[in-house]
Amino acid sequence: MAEITVVAELTSAVWKIEAGPGARVSEGDAIIILESMKMEIPVLSPADGTITAILVAEGDQIAEGQAVARIET
Amino acid sequence: MSASPPPETPATPKPGLWQPELDELRLREAHARRMGGEAKVRRQHDAGRLTVRERIGKLADPGSFHEVGAIAGKAEYDAQGRLLELTPSNCVWGRATLDGRRVVLVGDDFTVRGGSADATIREKPLMAERMAHEFRMPIVRVIEGSGGGGSVKTIETTGRANLPGGVGGTGLFHYTTLNLSAVPVVGLGLGSVAGLGAARLASTHYSVMTKSSAMFVAGPPVVSRLGAPVTKEELGGWETQCKAGAVDHAVDTEEEAFECARRFLSYLPSSVHEVSPVLPCEDDPGRRDEALMNAIPRERRRVYQMRPIIERVVDKGSFFEMGKMFGRSLITGLARLDGRAVAVMASDPFFYGGSWTADTCQKVVRFIDLAETFHLPVVYLMDCPGFMVGLEAERSATIRHGVRAMAAMNQATIPWCTIVIRNAFGVAGAAHQPAGRLSLRYAWLSARWGSLPLEGGIEAAYRAELDAAEDPAAKLAEIEDRLNLLRSPFRTAETFWVEEIIDPRETRPLLCDFARMADPLRQPTPSRLQMRP
Repeated sequence: MAEITVVAELTSAVWKIEAGPGARVSEGDAIIILESMKMEIPVLSPADGTITAILVAEGDQIAEGQAVARIET
Repeated sequence: MSASPPPETPATPKPGLWQPELDELRLREAHARRMGGEAKVRRQHDAGRLTVRERIGKLADPGSFHEVGAIAGKAEYDAQGRLLELTPSNCVWGRATLDGRRVVLVGDDFTVRGGSADATIREKPLMAERMAHEFRMPIVRVIEGSGGGGSVKTIETTGRANLPGGVGGTGLFHYTTLNLSAVPVVGLGLGSVAGLGAARLASTHYSVMTKSSAMFVAGPPVVSRLGAPVTKEELGGWETQCKAGAVDHAVDTEEEAFECARRFLSYLPSSVHEVSPVLPCEDDPGRRDEALMNAIPRERRRVYQMRPIIERVVDKGSFFEMGKMFGRSLITGLARLDGRAVAVMASDPFFYGGSWTADTCQKVVRFIDLAETFHLPVVYLMDCPGFMVGLEAERSATIRHGVRAMAAMNQATIPWCTIVIRNAFGVAGAAHQPAGRLSLRYAWLSARWGSLPLEGGIEAAYRAELDAAEDPAAKLAEIEDRLNLLRSPFRTAETFWVEEIIDPRETRPLLCDFARMADPLRQPTPSRLQMRP
């Protein structure tokens, strides 16, 4: 069991939370959808696991490298 | 000095007329092979790193290394003038073959004074650079430590302070600059790399570091004297340097770094006086990949993975990405089309929708310059909604870096082919092929373009009409519908504002045809461009 912190790869706005705490995700699943340059850019799960925390809310402005979620694998 | 025979074995079975001298030569070579001594070698191994001689042994084709100047170093003699000890200089260099091609290898010996200046003979790394330049051979620098650079200890050992670049001291920089426009230059950072070592690593066409290595202008002891203490990894670890674009790639093991060097060189000619070899191609140049038809989502706001698209159109397994962590809205790398080496640029919509940030523009300049220098045709799989916008983008001088990227494109003379995959908007939309000469261009069925995107663009252009409307939102939607009807790519093709719209499955056959068409245009004539790192 390890906890992974998922970070946003780009400065953007949080458009939609796709999966909340407790949700099971597979590697490559979209956890959060960001918006940048009018495009919807998913934050993909880096591994199979369970989401333990979502660290941002819809509408938040976030910076590149900011932690957005935690996953337990 | 050749790798064999070992010095303990006499080279000739019977002593010859010059046997004592031969014995001394072998003795001195044996000293050189001991490097900084058993304890220092053990320390290098305990830290999980190879010695410079092991590195060269693994990088070069077996038995191909021919060393120059092995016995140069500092000697100690007894009262009778007999040799007691010889500590070699911390630069090991010579020529070797890599996958059968002759190259210059130059490596720092960290076991001798951490690779720093007080155990360096300045002329050794300099001659390595000169040989690469004058005999037109690629050079691979295996760098660790300060790369022969300054140490405060030299103040005491020489009794004076060194003016950097003082009398006779600029030769290395002359050749490291010259070589960028002459031969492929690869840097491998294996360990802690600082100062001159960092400069020699960054001043390359392609650089790789191991993930346990660090590179910095100056290391933590110097930096923490100036401010907050910082770890080696934070300061110059692979994540820092690859994201910053100072190093192109990071790998887990030294062996992988050697493999990267070999792979990179396989796409390039040995010098600008040649063109890359054409290899036999086992992948059908006429292959139509069905998946390309569904690669781009119809929903315009949805993104897609570009790397699988690259893999589907180039010769199978031939894509070699460079600089993956830097300027990430554009993917750059080398690949083959019908056996011919090409330089591939492709947008990555996962990063700012593929918009060109200042970093991306810097990446474009260096990559196009590389292609121009080594006569590689360029293929650009384009999906660019424009230069990045916003305060952060303005503060990083995106437009200056953007026009530099466009200048690099317009100064290039190499054959060029662009596939408009999806977006082509704004000034960066125009930055998709050289402006002054004919290039090939194809638009996919998913392509769309404009001076600027409708979203936001309508508000700017139809301000008066929107202000006058009773229901501005409804008016906006009405105008958008009206414009959407007109902006079909087919209307653009109808007026020949774009020359060809294609079935995406035809991409590989068309790109392979481009690569063949480029054959007579690839001339082994040095470019007028003088490349900078």
